[in-house]
Amino acid sequence: MMTELWTQIASFLTSDRLLSVIRAFMLFSLGFLIAKLVSATVVKIVQNKVDKHRNMLLRRGTFYLIILLFTISALKELGFDLSVLLGAAGIFSVAIGFASQTSASNLISGLFLVAERPFSVGDVIRVGSTTGEVLAIDLLSVKLRTYDNLYVRLPNESLIKSEVTTLTRFPIRRIDIQVGVAYKEDLKKVREILYAVADKNPLSLEEPKPAYIFQGFGESSLNIQFSVWAKRENFLNLKNSIHEEIKNAFDENGIEIPFPYRTLYSGSVTEPFPVKQVKPTPTNRNQAL
Amino acid sequence: MQKITDSLSPWWGTFNFELDQSKLWRLGPLTMILRCLSGEWQVSYERIEQYEDSDISVSDTDSIPEDLPELTRYVFRNPCRSLKITPLLADRPVISRPRIPFNLSAGEEITLYVSSPLWIELSAGNNAKKLGELSIQRPSDTWFGPSTLQGELCYATTTHCRINLVEIPERRYRAITPVIIRNNADTTLSLERLNLPSPQLSIYTSDDGRLWTSTVKLTREKDGDMAALRVIHKPPKEAPEAIILSQPRVASEAGVFIRAFNAVFS
Repeated sequence: MMTELWTQIASFLTSDRLLSVIRAFMLFSLGFLIAKLVSATVVKIVQNKVDKHRNMLLRRGTFYLIILLFTISALKELGFDLSVLLGAAGIFSVAIGFASQTSASNLISGLFLVAERPFSVGDVIRVGSTTGEVLAIDLLSVKLRTYDNLYVRLPNESLIKSEVTTLTRFPIRRIDIQVGVAYKEDLKKVREILYAVADKNPLSLEEPKPAYIFQGFGESSLNIQFSVWAKRENFLNLKNSIHEEIKNAFDENGIEIPFPYRTLYSGSVTEPFPVKQVKPTPTNRNQAL
Repeated sequence: MQKITDSLSPWWGTFNFELDQSKLWRLGPLTMILRCLSGEWQVSYERIEQYEDSDISVSDTDSIPEDLPELTRYVFRNPCRSLKITPLLADRPVISRPRIPFNLSAGEEITLYVSSPLWIELSAGNNAKKLGELSIQRPSDTWFGPSTLQGELCYATTTHCRINLVEIPERRYRAITPVIIRNNADTTLSLERLNLPSPQLSIYTSDDGRLWTSTVKLTREKDGDMAALRVIHKPPKEAPEAIILSQPRVASEAGVFIRAFNAVFS
């Protein structure tokens, strides 16, 4: 029996099979060494240019890629059929494709965004309730810095799909001031006062002319919209100064901005409610007891 | 308060100060106090709404710059005792709106006199180092262009657009710009707004102390608001002996077409 085993081993050792196994083993170890060498070299070259994460990613990436290549050729040496492997790889890539759907969509949206250029780096945009200055337009997302100095990442997909307002696109901007005056006021006088305030304020542009728009007969007041234009950079300054000036001008001219009114009514024709002032009765606890 | 000048002497030029001395300028709406201290100049000013055109004076004063609201200090290593005041024109084009719009028929030419607001430039020292500038009146901002998307920021003033020189009131804190408008187009030009390229004009002073600017010639070649602009860099023919006081802020180019009349807004 031992002789049979030896004969088998001897025949195996002298067959072609062994040579291919040795070749495969040599390929694999060679691959391992080369992979280690190449990955170390690549890392050394780009050491100062990329950060730690990318560094590690690069090192591991090249290592496994090279090992994979050599493993495939080693397996081929051993006689494995690689078509099965390719089939598996095909299914794997479909799965990856489904998973990276959003990322691909973001990437394509990013390309369209760059081509269309609704805004560029340095512009201030408003998306939904987020307003901020554009710091970078990257492959997958746009980075903003909000006014209170927070970092916001907006996926490109959401920018393509939804409404984006670029606040810094045009040089001048209109401020809409909503003001309500009491019903007793003379609208002509109010109009004159508002125009005079806009005229006096140097930041409010003379052209385009300020617009006086009567909005409606409100619940407690006559609602007026007064719109003035300003250079975009002066927007905030004008907004603050003109509200203050309107208030002062109204005070000087006795124009009332009313609080909400409620009229108490108890029938078709109501007499005024009588209000009688009564002296407060002295509370003397000892007396009550 | 000793008056240095009367209303006929100029409020510009070089003024010599003693140490700690203050001088007061009244230029229509603007009141300005300048004080010379060791190592610094102090400048303060105030603009008022009620004033007379004849309120022009320069005088020594006991007031100090802290008496007025807007105060600035200019500090120097080597102090000096003389300060130069130069009038300048606006740093942006000035849009003049005629009080009463008028029409210029085809083929007609007219010379108008428009008054321009002035800025004051302060410079100190032998090599006239510029300290700063301020406007005598702060004109209102306005937008001039074909739409709210394009155009430029300008200053707005209203003008009487006088045709006769004698009708122009005496206002020493403003300069007079002669504007020659020629309408070579086939249609009447209805003038509601006039775009004056103030940064391209020089300032001259005539014997009677009046301030003039370079003459502006606008030629309307065809229908529309565009006109060929030409700035005549010589004393105006109304005051040929006038001497130049200040240079233009920007150089003007020949043969430029500008939008000179009527901005259109929807």
